[in-house]
Amino acid sequence: MSTFLELQNISKSFDEETILEDVNLSLEHQKTLSLIGASGSGKTTLLKIIAGLEKASNGNVVLNKQNINNLPPQKRKIVYLYQDALLFPHLSAFENIAFGLKLQKQKNIRNTVNAMLESLGMIEHAEKMPNQLSGGQKQRIAFGRALVIKPQLLLLDEPFGALDPKIRSNMQKLFKNLVVAQGLSSIFVTHDIKEAIIIGDGIAKIEKGKLIQFESKQSFYNTKSSGVQAEIDFWKQLKNEKE
Amino acid sequence: MNRVLKYIYACLVVFPVIFLMAMSFAEKWRFPDFWPENWTFKNWSSSIFGQGDLLYSLIVSLGISLMLASLVCVISFFVSKEIAYSKYRKTYMKLTLIPYILSPIILAVIFQYYFAFTSLTGKILGVLIAQLFFALPFGIVIFNNFWNDKILSLEQLTFTLGATPKESLLKAVIPLSKPAIILCFFQSFLVSWFEYGLTRFIGLGKVKTLTVMVFNFINEANVFYAALACVLLVLPPIFLLYINKKALILKQ
Amino acid sequence: MVILPVSTGLIYATSYSLGLTGLMSQGFTTAYWGEALSSQDVWSSFLYSFWVGIVSVFIAACIALGLALGWQRSIQQGKLSYFIFLPLCYPATVMAFLVHQWFSPSGFFSRLFYNLGIIDNLEAFPIVIRDYYGIGIILCSIFLITPFFTILFSNIYKNERINELENLSKTLGSSVNQILRRVTLPILFNRSKTTLLLFVIFVMGSYEAPLILGRQNPQMITVAIVNKIQKFNLNDIPVGYAMSIIYVLIVIISLNFSGILKTFQNRKISNI
Repeated sequence: MSTFLELQNISKSFDEETILEDVNLSLEHQKTLSLIGASGSGKTTLLKIIAGLEKASNGNVVLNKQNINNLPPQKRKIVYLYQDALLFPHLSAFENIAFGLKLQKQKNIRNTVNAMLESLGMIEHAEKMPNQLSGGQKQRIAFGRALVIKPQLLLLDEPFGALDPKIRSNMQKLFKNLVVAQGLSSIFVTHDIKEAIIIGDGIAKIEKGKLIQFESKQSFYNTKSSGVQAEIDFWKQLKNEKE
Repeated sequence: MNRVLKYIYACLVVFPVIFLMAMSFAEKWRFPDFWPENWTFKNWSSSIFGQGDLLYSLIVSLGISLMLASLVCVISFFVSKEIAYSKYRKTYMKLTLIPYILSPIILAVIFQYYFAFTSLTGKILGVLIAQLFFALPFGIVIFNNFWNDKILSLEQLTFTLGATPKESLLKAVIPLSKPAIILCFFQSFLVSWFEYGLTRFIGLGKVKTLTVMVFNFINEANVFYAALACVLLVLPPIFLLYINKKALILKQ
Repeated sequence: MVILPVSTGLIYATSYSLGLTGLMSQGFTTAYWGEALSSQDVWSSFLYSFWVGIVSVFIAACIALGLALGWQRSIQQGKLSYFIFLPLCYPATVMAFLVHQWFSPSGFFSRLFYNLGIIDNLEAFPIVIRDYYGIGIILCSIFLITPFFTILFSNIYKNERINELENLSKTLGSSVNQILRRVTLPILFNRSKTTLLLFVIFVMGSYEAPLILGRQNPQMITVAIVNKIQKFNLNDIPVGYAMSIIYVLIVIISLNFSGILKTFQNRKISNI
């Protein structure tokens, strides 16, 4: 598999504060990279640089072997999804999904959007306004809006962070099915280790502006600072106490 | 008892309009008569439909206020966005607050020289520009509440969905800002509609808005025409209040 | 667009008051500033304006508190809300005219009292227009600003969930009086004090009401400044400009001390 996205020595500073320091990252075609990072680690800034919403102080963003540093966000076909679904409050669920298609002046919008609503299990909610939808439903519509325009790359910034555990689990499954079905490449940011392992084909960790990309999931499990071993030990101890 | 008090309050609040309307139809009101000697339509017919003095003032006032409200909305929409997302937002907003707080007549005093120098005194354009300097901070303060992290995120989201800045503005940002635009328009309209001191000072009394006419009639001791001018002053805001009550609320 | 005209205006006013420019300019002089700062009339105008501002805001706030607390639910919803907002449609010009027509010696109330036999001649009606204490101006200001305060207190009451706090206090054993003194009023005052100060400044800077209802001495500061600028005595114009600079400085200093300018400092770019 060829490298689809490559970040080369990306650095970013605001005034005297270093947000990102020499970040290197590679993502293969049709793969999902889970990026673990706490608040203030620089993960949001990194995603915005990839999306073109912010400019790096140094370094290159290379997509499909092309340097896209100076390409505006409208032309990158990289969609950035926030933790908040950020639906347009003045548009219905249908119109939210259709938004990007209308910008592209595509034909047959109605059929395309309805097909997407079906795959999201949201067809009966098509005419509802965002304030009539639950948190999970809003996230589904936000996904639909991003996927329907067939982006090259999807950037997700803790999209399930505000959802309760059961809905979160359903959304993780939905996400995995959709990206596989559409053959999408994505970077999925989370601070939940379990979610990172479930969602990602590979794992990276960002801390205080520095990024470590693990060669494999196994090397992530074996790294002491990953927290995986601590989790396993915790559940083992609980099991022993119970017995 | 509470209900009675509420009815009394409602009557008290409506009384000014009724009083002004009654005076505008009155003629000869000698002390100590409680009622005027005559009731007549003459005041209305001659001042609005006859010589047309008040009709002209009504049109001038409406023209200036509508133009000002539109200009303030457009300018403050974009200016406040730049301020809201600027590094020096706090400083800019502090500076914006100063003309907002100062009395409009004092503002007129301190920059009237430049209006005289550019021959804008005594002209409708001069009054419009002077009112713009006073009303713009109102618009900026109103829109300052609108430009927040969520709007910025939505705007950036539209870029990643393929929208150009123009498309993002027309299809996402402006629809979301409608409540703020309406509030700004109404507030700016009222600021201009009610303004006297600055208008009189820069307009030199030649720009005869309704407020200027009220004072002219008072100085001429023509209280019935003054009352008529007052009725014309309060009716449009009352109309605006009833079509959009919430737009006139001053929020904390 | 906003700061530049005000700054250039202030620069011109300052240079005029220092004799550097203007019709009677003879070069730099502090004489006009000396006259402004040492003039009893100037300071009595400032103090008079402050008196009118403080009294108006205090009385209006008391009335508004009564309305907001007594009719909280009706103000937030229901027909009474329209009547609360209606006075917002009366500008200062109209209100000043009305106060003059109602309370002047030959006004509406004088005629009413005469016809009811309470007074038997024009002179018996109390002087509230163009009086020494500015009662007419204060009345006009109260009529104008009470609706703003009523809406303000009503919104604070709702947003701060004061009703729930009052109920909580009751369950903790507080009497009605104690709840008012220790819960309701402190919260309302804390959240509104900045706005109350703003309104003192607004009333001090009012022009239409003092023009119709005020007397020659003492004058509200705005009327005094405009009179100086527009007088035939050209030597009064620089003094008028000096007075306007003093007014601007007093406003800015008051804003700084009160923390109004900090209002924008503490808010992030988030929905307020």
